[in-house]
Amino acid sequence: MIELVNITKKYAGQEEPAVKGLNLLVRDGESCVLVGPSGCGKSTTLRMINRLIEPTAGTVLIDGKDIRETDPDRLRMGIGYVIQQIGLLPHRTVAENIAIVPRLYGWPKDKIRERTDELLELIGLDPETTRHKYPAQLSGGQMQRVGVARAMAVDPPIMLMDEPFGAVDPIARNHLQDEFLRLQSVMRKTICFVTHDINEAIKMGDQIAILDRGELVQHGSPLEILSNPANDFVCDFIGYDRVVKKLSLCRAGSISRKDFCLIRESELPAAAKKMEEQRAEVSFLVDGKGVPRGMLTAKWLKDNGSAFTPKELKALASQGHKGFIQEDTLLRDALSLLLELDLDYLGVLKGETLCGAVSMADIRQYASGKEGD
Amino acid sequence: MSTISFFMDNIAFISKYAAAHFSLIFTAVIISLLLWLPVGVLVSRSERLANAVLGIANTLYCIPSLALFSFLVTIPAFGLGRKSALLALVIYAMMPLVRNVYQGIKVVDKNVIEAARGMGMNSWRILREIQLPLAAPVIFAGFRITVVMTTGVAAIAAFIGEKNLGRLITVGMNGYNVDMIVTGALLISLIAILLDTILGFFERLIIPRGLRIHRG
Repeated sequence: MIELVNITKKYAGQEEPAVKGLNLLVRDGESCVLVGPSGCGKSTTLRMINRLIEPTAGTVLIDGKDIRETDPDRLRMGIGYVIQQIGLLPHRTVAENIAIVPRLYGWPKDKIRERTDELLELIGLDPETTRHKYPAQLSGGQMQRVGVARAMAVDPPIMLMDEPFGAVDPIARNHLQDEFLRLQSVMRKTICFVTHDINEAIKMGDQIAILDRGELVQHGSPLEILSNPANDFVCDFIGYDRVVKKLSLCRAGSISRKDFCLIRESELPAAAKKMEEQRAEVSFLVDGKGVPRGMLTAKWLKDNGSAFTPKELKALASQGHKGFIQEDTLLRDALSLLLELDLDYLGVLKGETLCGAVSMADIRQYASGKEGD
Repeated sequence: MSTISFFMDNIAFISKYAAAHFSLIFTAVIISLLLWLPVGVLVSRSERLANAVLGIANTLYCIPSLALFSFLVTIPAFGLGRKSALLALVIYAMMPLVRNVYQGIKVVDKNVIEAARGMGMNSWRILREIQLPLAAPVIFAGFRITVVMTTGVAAIAAFIGEKNLGRLITVGMNGYNVDMIVTGALLISLIAILLDTILGFFERLIIPRGLRIHRG
């Protein structure tokens, strides 16, 4: 647990403090993203947690203990630290770079070698081919991975990350973010993460702390912040697409409805009746193996009367044959698909099986609802 | 041809002069390294100190060698001979050595230092394991300049009583002995070029492997 109590940092020769009376709590196993425009004091705040910067006033507590009671070097050895520029030692191999902190702890050689290989595998690099490479032989993305592995070498409970994925191209960044989230879901480290990119904050943070000119403007979960921005600054910072961003916090499975029915091709002529009986707004056409082939909505059937031949009905249903998503699809992507296919419903699949339906109205309701119930 | 026969005829005292020349170079360079490397490291810690010390080094470096030698002989504690010669050579070595150590340490990527500090490395370890190895090529370049410069300036110490290869030139000048002058001049030049070439070879070896190889 990291606790910042009334932290103020005033740099010599500057009128305004870089950080003003900041209070922040990061619970164990939680990732807290400090986000704000450049110069808002987010990096300064982060660097006060490992004493690279000493606060002018206030206290930083780690697990309830004032960090000033620990020798700075000792303190830093126990906290993972990743920076945007990575800072790999260019004259040391990948393995030697990862071994820096274990060596500071005086681990035996065998243990270091074992741990290094384990970490390389964890971050998706082949130990055999990577171990002896020098940083100059790696791509930007690989260097960043090694930087993360290096910070995790002694499995520290706390990680401080200062724009760790800021220097790589967008595709690699997305990939690194996903991988890190996957690691974090297992490791549950206490993370302080700095970024200026609100999208990254929304994606990476359990909690987001928005800073402006050294002050904490809003602190809450991504959903809280996107649903109830504290003021105009936060609104501006998030951007006009605030509500659309909210859609990337929720997966289709969690809002899908169950009032749908399945129909076989042979049941097509009776589809309207079956839907009425089951009070379903939408029915999905499935083949013999249960694989979805299309959909019919009550609205289509109503608008077009009931004078369809089975063949016409099948053609109508087939228009929606692409309208199926997995339950872990983000609502943002679901919305995009709804718009692209000009549909009102999407079928939600769990693997191959239909498990629900999501409508345009459901997404609208989620987006406009406060606190997203 | 007569230069060669002069060399062959006088090989005994020429080798004595060469030995004296080498011993002066060697002693001066060793003292300079012991003194100026730590000073270079020290001034890299403080911008203000660096400005002051590098300013002094630059000023001293500007003094013409003949003037510095002459000045030093007038100080009773030094007088004619080796002490004054050594002191002058060590003073001249200050500029290339202190400046290159300082520069070498300063140009090490700030982010590497930041990351190392953030991982809990102390200043001494950072110096020993990161700054010095990465600064080594620049420091070595300063060392190479120092050796070549010392070889040349040591010859001028013949004016204040050093019996080295420079003496072939001073004595040769007095009696206008062309063979003697040419022998001295050639030998000093050859030594300087030879030392520089040897050190140039070592300079390539001292660049850390990680900086020598690139992607691929």
